[in-house]
Amino acid sequence: MTASGGDAAAPAPEIVVDGLTRVFGRRDVLRDVSFSVERGGFVALFGPNGAGKTTTLRVLATLLAPTSGSVSIAGHSLADDPTPLRRTIGLISHSPLLYRDLTAYENLRFYADMYGVEDREQRITELLDRVELAHRRYDIVRTFSKGMLQRLAIARALLHRPRVLLLDEPHSGLDPHAVDILDGLLAEIRAEHTFVMVTHHIQKGLELASQVLILDGGRIVFRQTGAVDPQAFTAVYREHVREGAVA
Amino acid sequence: MSAAPALSGRRQFWALLRKDVVSELRTKEMLISMFLFSMLAMVVFHYAFTATGDIDLSPFTGGMLWAVFVFASLLGLNRSFVHEKDEGCLDGLLLCPVDRVTIFFAKMTGNLIFLGLIQLLAVPVFTVFFVTSGYWADLSTFVAVLVLADIGICVLGTLLATIAMSTRARDLLLPIVFLPLIVPLLIAATAATTEVFSGDVTWATLWGKLAFLLGYDAVFLVAAWGTYDFAIGE
Amino acid sequence: MSAESINEAGATPTTRGKTGWRRLVDVPVLFVAAGVSLVTGLLLVFWVAPEEATMGFPYKILYFHAPIAWCALLGYLVAFVAAILYLRSNDARWDRLGMCGVRLGLVFSLLVMATGMIWGRSSWNVWWSWEPRLTTFLIACLMYCGYFVLRATVEEEERRATFAALFAVIAFINVPITFLSTRVLPGDMQHPSGVVEGGGLVGWMYPAFFVSMVGMTLLFFALLRNDLRVERLKEELAYIKNRLGS
Repeated sequence: MTASGGDAAAPAPEIVVDGLTRVFGRRDVLRDVSFSVERGGFVALFGPNGAGKTTTLRVLATLLAPTSGSVSIAGHSLADDPTPLRRTIGLISHSPLLYRDLTAYENLRFYADMYGVEDREQRITELLDRVELAHRRYDIVRTFSKGMLQRLAIARALLHRPRVLLLDEPHSGLDPHAVDILDGLLAEIRAEHTFVMVTHHIQKGLELASQVLILDGGRIVFRQTGAVDPQAFTAVYREHVREGAVA
Repeated sequence: MSAAPALSGRRQFWALLRKDVVSELRTKEMLISMFLFSMLAMVVFHYAFTATGDIDLSPFTGGMLWAVFVFASLLGLNRSFVHEKDEGCLDGLLLCPVDRVTIFFAKMTGNLIFLGLIQLLAVPVFTVFFVTSGYWADLSTFVAVLVLADIGICVLGTLLATIAMSTRARDLLLPIVFLPLIVPLLIAATAATTEVFSGDVTWATLWGKLAFLLGYDAVFLVAAWGTYDFAIGE
Repeated sequence: MSAESINEAGATPTTRGKTGWRRLVDVPVLFVAAGVSLVTGLLLVFWVAPEEATMGFPYKILYFHAPIAWCALLGYLVAFVAAILYLRSNDARWDRLGMCGVRLGLVFSLLVMATGMIWGRSSWNVWWSWEPRLTTFLIACLMYCGYFVLRATVEEEERRATFAALFAVIAFINVPITFLSTRVLPGDMQHPSGVVEGGGLVGWMYPAFFVSMVGMTLLFFALLRNDLRVERLKEELAYIKNRLGS
C-alpha cells in the first residue's frame, strides 16, 4: 500500500485512507477503498462514471462522511473535529467556487477571512500576481472568462497554504490556452504540495502522477506506483474496467 | 495557522455577513422585489376588504401587516442561499474550517437585516394606508414586537431554507413547510400588533404575547443550533 | 436469480423456514386484539354508557374522537423519536418508522377533524370552529403534509431521510406551541370542552372510554406494524428489480 521508494525510515504518509466505505441502505458507493500518499506525492484516480472517484474526493474534502473506515490527512483524522483538517486541504473543482457578484479581491478576501489567513492583504496580492490576474483585482467576477475563473479558483485554493490539494477534473471545460496556464501553475506548485486528482484525461493524469489508481464499482481495481506508460495504461484500463470507454 | 478559535469565529461571521450584504446591495434585486411585493400586497388587501364599501379596518390591521411581511419574507428567505446554490459555491463554503452554526447565524442575521430594511420603508407606508389612530407613544413597544417577530421568522425561515435549498423544488417547498410552522408566531404577533395599532396598549395584556414571541424565538433558535449540522450537509 | 441468491442479497425471510409457534408471528395478532377491543367498545358505547346530561346522544362520538386524537399524536410522537434515533445512528430503518408514523398520524388527524366536524354539526350546527384543538390538528395536518412534499423533492436517499427527520423534529416541537398560541388569542373558544377536560365522565362512561382508548391504540400499532412491513417489502422489491436490471 505505501510507496515511499523502499526507504526504511520513511516519514508518515501525508494521506492515509483505510477501508473507506460508504453505504446507504443497500447501495455500496465505496467499498473498502484503501491507499496512502507520501508527502509530495501525486495520486491520479481514474475510472468510469459512477465508480466512486468523486465520492472519494468529497470524503477527503470532508464534504461527505464515510460509513466506515478511516481517513487521515496531514496527521488529522476525519473522525475528529474536521476543522483542523479543513485548514490543510484545498479543493480545485471544475466549478470555480467563486461568487459572481463580488470582485476578485472581495472573493479572495472572503475566503481569507474564513480560513483565518493572518497576512491577508499580502497573500491576496501575491497570489493574484502569481495567477496573472492582478490587473483584474477590482473587477466583478461575472465578467471573467472560464480560464480566468479557473486561475482565480487556484488562487482561492492556495490562499490558506494547504498542504494537500484535491483536484476534481480541473481541466474540464477549459480551452487549450487556459489548460496551458493551469498546467504551468500545477507544475510550479507541484513540489510544495501533495495531490489527489480525479480526471478522465489520461495524458495529464499520468504526466504528473506518482501513483495511479483505477476505481470501478466503488472498489480499487488497479493500483501502481511510479511512472506508467500511457499506451500500456490504456490497455490496462480497458482490461480492468467493464465499460471500456476512455477519454 | 492557529488563530484563537473564538476570535476567528467572529471574523468568519462578519466575513459571511459582509459577503451577503455586499452582494445584495450591489444588485438590490431581492430588496426591490420584496419592497414592491409588500406594496402590492397592501393594495390587494385594501381591495380584498373594502368590497362592501369603505369600512373601518382597525381590527384587521395587525393581521394585514403580518400577512404582508410573512409573505414578503418568503421571497427573501428563498434567496438565503441563492448565490451558493446557483453559482455552485456551497462546496466552497462547506470546505472552510467554519462552525456550521456560524454559517447559520450569519445567514439569519443577513435575512434579518434585509427584512428590517424592508420594514423600515413599508411600515410607514402601511401606517399611512391603514392605521387611523396614532401609535407614536407606543413606538418602542411596536418596535419590540417587530424585532421579536422578525427574529422568529428569520430563525425558522433560515433553517427551513437551508433544508429546502438542497431539494429539487426549492422555491416551491419553502412556503409549504414554512407557513404552517410560522402560524403560532403569526397569531401572537398579530394580536400584539393589533393592540398597538388600536391605540390602547396595556402591559397586562401585552406581556403574555411578547413572552410567547420570546419563547418561540428561543425554542427554534435552540432547535436550529442543534440541528444545523444536519441541515446544511454532512 | 435463485432463491438462495436473493436471500444472500439480504432479503428478509418471511415464514419460509419457520416452524411451529414461530408461524404465529404472521397471524395478525394485533389486528385481532384491536378488533375485539373496538367491538367491545362499540357495544359499551351504544348499549351501556348513559346519555350525557346536556349533549344527549351525539356526544358519544367523543368515544372515538378522543382516542383517535390521542393516536394521531402518538403517530407524531413515534415519528419524533424515530427521527432523533435516525439522526444519531443513520440507520435507514428509523427513517422508515418515522415515515409510517407520520402517515398514520396524518390519517388519524383527518379522522379527528372529520369526527370533530360531525360532532360540531350535530350538536351546535357548525361545520367548523376555530377552537384550539381542532385548529392545532389542522395545522398539524398541513405541516405533516409538507413532510411528504419534502420527501418527494429529495432524490438522494440519505439526504431525504436526514431532512425528513429534521422536519419531523421541528414539526413535533411546533404542535404544542401551536396549541398554546391558539389559546393566546382571545375570542373564539365556543367549543365546550367540559367532558374532554375530565369533568363530566360518570359511571359507565369510564369503561366505555377506556376500552375504546385501548382498542384504538391497539389498532394504531397493528396498522403501524403492517405499514412497516409493506414499506420494507417495497424496498426489497425495488432492490431486487435494480439488481436484475443492472
